[in-house]
Amino acid sequence: MDKKERFTAVAKFLGKYASHQMGCGVHTSRVVRNTKRLSESFDIDVAVSLFQRTLTISVYDHEANRVHSELVEIQHQPILFIHNASLSALSWEALDNHLTLDEVKKKYDEALAAPLLHPLFILILASLANLSFCKLFGGDIVAMIIVFVATASGFYLKQCMTRWHCNNHLTFIASAFTASFIAASSFFLDTTSEIAMATSVLFLIPGVPLVNGVIDIIEGYTLIGVTRLINCALMILCIAVGLGGTLMIFQNSLF
Amino acid sequence: MLLIDGFFAAIAGCGFGAISNPPRRAFLYIAILAAIGHALRTLLMGTFAFDIATASLCAGILIGFTSLPLGRISYCPATVLYIPALLPMIPGKFAYNSIFSMILFVQNINDEIVSAYYMEKFFANFMVTCSVIFLLAVGATFPVFVFPNKAYRMTRHQKK
Repeated sequence: MDKKERFTAVAKFLGKYASHQMGCGVHTSRVVRNTKRLSESFDIDVAVSLFQRTLTISVYDHEANRVHSELVEIQHQPILFIHNASLSALSWEALDNHLTLDEVKKKYDEALAAPLLHPLFILILASLANLSFCKLFGGDIVAMIIVFVATASGFYLKQCMTRWHCNNHLTFIASAFTASFIAASSFFLDTTSEIAMATSVLFLIPGVPLVNGVIDIIEGYTLIGVTRLINCALMILCIAVGLGGTLMIFQNSLF
Repeated sequence: MLLIDGFFAAIAGCGFGAISNPPRRAFLYIAILAAIGHALRTLLMGTFAFDIATASLCAGILIGFTSLPLGRISYCPATVLYIPALLPMIPGKFAYNSIFSMILFVQNINDEIVSAYYMEKFFANFMVTCSVIFLLAVGATFPVFVFPNKAYRMTRHQKK
């Protein structure tokens, strides 16, 4: 492989590496840091320019006074903290052990192939989380059980709609409506119905992008941070629409 | 009381963490962080009469500082541990009241007094929700700026 081909191959791989991290919920400064660390392990100077949907990797060949750039589209996917940890570890491993590009590529594929948590396990844990939320807000045992069932139903619908590649905003509206509609059964029982309603949709709150947005702004990646927060606001608006639908149906039970 | 609070916060932290697919080894540490953070906030608000925003900032700082050694032990970036741990402290009740007030404001738009009442309630709840989320994130991120070298090397294994 001649020098030009090597630079192209490195730029292509770094683009893939950075875009996967951006897509799976890693905050911007970490993506930049990991990518630069990886390029350092190949003794190559690199600059990263990031936007919400695309990123550009520029690899500098100082001897030939040439820059090779790769524009990569960011594929958005579910939040995968397991890849956040493993891809960050990969950059350190490459730097410390002077791995070749082929070795890094092999380890990258292995990291991405690592098994994820079973969807049923996530569903049960998310439902238990919302049940606990209900308890923390002062809900009684009946409200906790209702919230568990409501969350399990809403979350199951969300998993199905995500699998069917439905529009993300539509998924949020439908899941929020389903969860809050089931939680509205608490209006007909002697229980803490307001708390049950309030907690039933909390599993949809986009907590990771919210915190990532704030971190990005604090660390100087204002444009991406604001974009993330605007996306979060849209998602919260979708939750409000779903919840609002239920509140309008059961309005007479509220007063 | 604090133990029960911490226990349920730990379950909530693990549950919301699971949605983000963390490494399996991270769950224990997420639970610990969520428990101590939420228990501290409850203690500050209940015993020392702190407001929810200041108490959340203190809890965020505690979670941020504790995530550094725990991240080192688990070889996970601090964000993988502290973001799920912060989620049980998102003020859901205030967020719900904002949405509820917004709907009632729209429905009573023709009645000036009632709509103004719901508008005021909407802004009050919305401001609390936003400020608590912002302060939680700032509090948890603060230690990363104090100890950047430690925070950026969590996933580094032994050099060969």
